[in-house]
Parts: sequence; structure tokens; C-alpha cells
Amino acid sequence: MSAHLSLTSKISSWPRWWLSAAVGMGISLAWTVPFVPWWAALGSSLCAVLTLTVLAFYARRQEEALPLQGEEVLEGHDAKHVLEQVDDLLSPSKDIEQIPQVDDVLQSMAADNQRRRLEELMRRWMDVGQRYGEAALVLRREIQSVIKQTEQATGTIASSFEAVINKATIQARQAMELLEGTQGAASDGVPQSLKDFIQVSDERLNKMADEVVRVADLSVNMVRELDGVQNRTQAIDGFLLDVEKLADQTSLLALNADIEAARVGEHGRGFSVVASEVRRLSKRSHEFSDRIRVHLKEVRTGLSKTYGDMRTLSAADMEHALKIKEDVISLTRSLEGKNREVAETVSRINEISKEIAQDVQNVVVSLQFQDITSQKLSGMLEPMDDLRRTLYHLMQETANLDKGLLKNVPGNENWLSRMRDVPAAEAEVKLTKNPEQDLRKVHGAAGSGPAVELF
Amino acid sequence: MATILTVDDTASMRQMISFTLNSVGHEVIQACDGKEALQLLQGKKVDLVIADVNMPNMDGITLVKSLREQADYKFTPILMLTTESQESKRQQGKVAGATGWIVKPFNPEQLLNVVKKVLG
Repeated sequence: MSAHLSLTSKISSWPRWWLSAAVGMGISLAWTVPFVPWWAALGSSLCAVLTLTVLAFYARRQEEALPLQGEEVLEGHDAKHVLEQVDDLLSPSKDIEQIPQVDDVLQSMAADNQRRRLEELMRRWMDVGQRYGEAALVLRREIQSVIKQTEQATGTIASSFEAVINKATIQARQAMELLEGTQGAASDGVPQSLKDFIQVSDERLNKMADEVVRVADLSVNMVRELDGVQNRTQAIDGFLLDVEKLADQTSLLALNADIEAARVGEHGRGFSVVASEVRRLSKRSHEFSDRIRVHLKEVRTGLSKTYGDMRTLSAADMEHALKIKEDVISLTRSLEGKNREVAETVSRINEISKEIAQDVQNVVVSLQFQDITSQKLSGMLEPMDDLRRTLYHLMQETANLDKGLLKNVPGNENWLSRMRDVPAAEAEVKLTKNPEQDLRKVHGAAGSGPAVELF
Repeated sequence: MATILTVDDTASMRQMISFTLNSVGHEVIQACDGKEALQLLQGKKVDLVIADVNMPNMDGITLVKSLREQADYKFTPILMLTTESQESKRQQGKVAGATGWIVKPFNPEQLLNVVKKVLG
């Protein structure tokens, strides 16, 4: 009985057998029920199952008996011993791994899947963290480089601009001094400006021209006077003729007296002497007259020559004076034109100076962009550093959470070590700027209030 | 003409301030932060200080406070020239003893007017 139970238990521990029996019985029942009554079908099925069970049991016994054909067969022949051996053989071996249950397998597979997905997510997270961390570092370097380059460039622009403006100011000042010099007032009669020079020159040249004209007038008057003198010399010539006529008559009278004296003889001798004296006087009178005429002729010749010269001179003077006056007027007008041009240039230079002053103001305002831009760029560093710090802490926390899990994530150690270098990079930045202050600067710039306020 | 100290960490800002003030004949000396400004002012008297607020080493507000503690600079006009325009910052400046507050970017004419006013 115990052997039977043991065998039954052995058989029941073999589920495949029962499964086969149940399936066979089911098929047999299903096949016969349409053709025979149900109890006959059931009986037939049970018989078939029983037959199969007996056949299977027998076949199994034959299989199990096979190893006993060796040494063990010789050790015992009793059924009890054999059954014990069979029981030993059928009991689960410690060397064979137990096959897990299906649910356990499924649960394990799901856990594996989850783990793989988690690993994949972790890998992606690490990758993203790494890339953003590196990008933030690159951005920080680029921003600092931009700030530095802009500062250098602005410094150069500002210096050049300052030099240009200083030179332009000197140039404008010198031009103005030069031009304003031509517009200044005269002092102590000495002309200080082109305008004054024109005025003084005009006055003096006009004065000179007037003098020349006056001299020319005088010459004309002198010519007229000379005409009068010449007429008077001609009158003197007439008088001399009268004198000569009187002398001739006197000489004739003396000759008559001499004749009459000769006729009276000795008594007329004295009278003859008187007559000779009278004749001598008449002759001398004639001689004087001739000499006067000669002198008069010389005077007349001289006067005539002087008259000619004076006429030529007065005509030339007048012509020259008129020419000078004309030239002076022309020159004065030309100089006045130039002076007007100078005044216009001065005015234009003044206007340009005002325009330059306005442009300078605009440039000075615009050149301050570098300061404002640098502050805004520096302000961007702090949020970026925050991002990198947050990434670093998150990665550290992740790493601490499950070190075994992160072991499978490639490149994890390098990444974390790089993230650990972040404080060093930050220290370098903080040497140049205080990010907290920079951030305030940026926020501050967005605020409102008066541009200038005196407390 | 007056001697004016300009304090700003940005070189181009110092250049622009100097250029503007030099154009009307003021003498300008420069410092890049509050600390350098204090060193420069030791044994030297200036008529006006124009300082930025946000600077490394020593900020503008601290500089104003330090200067107001010195007898020589108790009444010297100090103008803050900064990008900061919040009321709270202005109040800090006022309390510290600043004379006025100018928001960047400054207009040269405006700056010269303010300088003329505070110099009397």
C-alpha cells in the first residue's frame, strides 16, 4: 500500500502525465458522446485512460529499471529497496537549478526591461547633462572673450576718436584765428584785419589819387598862367619896337642937327657935339633894345618849352591819376569780395563746429555701449553658472542614488570629474567680475527713473 | 577749472568722461575702482568725484561712505554715474551721502551742466 502511494505520489509529481491523461480523456469523451449515450462514453473514456495509465506506469518502470542493470542491481533485489532508490532518484537534485515559476520569470523580465529603460534614460540624461555642461563652459569662455575683445576695440576707438577730435579742434581753432584775424579791428592806425586793411588802403589810395588830380589841376593853371606870360612877352616885344623906332627917330634928328650945325660953321660946333651924343645915345638905346629882344626871345623860348612840358605833364598826371583811382576802386571791390568770402567761410566753419560738437556728443553716448553690453553679457554668466551648478548637483545625487546602475553608463566618471572642475572655472571668472553684482546691474538697467537726479 | 576724479571699472567709460570734462578745461584723474580711488585721494584734494556703483574690489556706495568719513571729503560733491536706475539703489546712494545720480549712458552736455551746477 505504501509503495502504491509512493508510486502514485511519484506519478502525481509528474504533471505532464496527468495533463496527457486528462487531454486523452477529454478527446475520447468528445469523440464518442455524439454517437453513444453519455455514461457509455464516459465509461469508455475512463477505460481508455486507465489502460493508458497502466501502460505508462509499466513503461516508466521499465525505463527506471534500466540503470539497475549495473552494479546497483546486485546490491538489492527487494521491491522496497528499489522503490527507495526510485524515490531518491525522483527527489529534486541539489545540483540541478530549480526552474522558476512563469510569473517570477515574467516579473524578472519586466524588471530587466525597466532597468534597461532606466539605464537608457540615465545614459541620455548623462549625455544631455554632459553636453549642456560643456556648452555652458564654451559659452562662458566665448562671452568672456567677447567682453575682452569689445573692451579692447572700444578702447582703441575711443582713443582714436579722442585724437581725431583734438586734432580737428586745433585745426578749427587755427583756421578761425587766421580768418578772424582778417576780420578784426585796427589799432593805432595799423590795420589788424583784411577789412581794415582794405579800408585804410582805400582811404590812402583815394587821397593820393585826389592829390594827383589836384597837381594835374595846378599844372593846367600854370599852363594857363604861362600863356598869359607869353602874351605879355609879345607886348614887351611891341614896346621894344617902339623904343627902336624912337631911337631911329632920335638918330635921324641928331643927324639933322649935325647937318644944321655944320651949316652954321664954327658956331654950330658945340651943337654938333650934342648931336653926336644924341646919336650915340640913340645907338646905345638900339643896342639895349636888341639885347632886350635877345633875352626876351630866350625867355619866350624857355616859356614855350615849359608850356609844352606843363601841358604834357598835366595831361599825363590827370590820365595817371584817373587810372590809379580806377585801379584803387577795382582793387577795393575785389578785396571786399574776398572779405565777404572770408566772412562766409568763418560763418560756415562756425556751423561745422556746432555740427561736430553735436556729432561728438552722439559718439560719446554711443561709445558707452561697451560698458552696458559688457555688464549685460557678464549678467548672463550667473544664470549659466547656476545651470551648471544645478546639473552638477543633480548628477552627483544621481550618482549617489545607485552607483551600481551608473556603473553601466559609459563615460560617467569622466563627466563627473569634469563637472567637479566647475568651481575652478568659476573662481577664475569671479576674479574679474562679481556675477551677483552683474546680475543686479542687468536688472537695474531695466528699471526706470530720472536720468539725472541731484539729492 | 576744477580737478575731477572719475572712478569706473570700464576703461572706455573713463575715457569718455575724461574727454568730455577735458573739453571744457577740467583736469581729470582716473581710478578703476573704489580702492584705487581712495589710494589716489590720500593727500590729494579734488573738487568733484564721479563714481560708478558696481565695481570690483570696492563698489561706489562703499567709496562714498568711506569718503564721507574723511574730513577733507565731507562736503566734496560726489556724483554716481551708473546703469542702475532702481529707486532702492538711489536711496542707498543718497543715504551714503552721494550728491547726485546719473544714469548711463550720459549725454556730454547733460554731464557738463550737472558738473557746473554741483561745482557752483
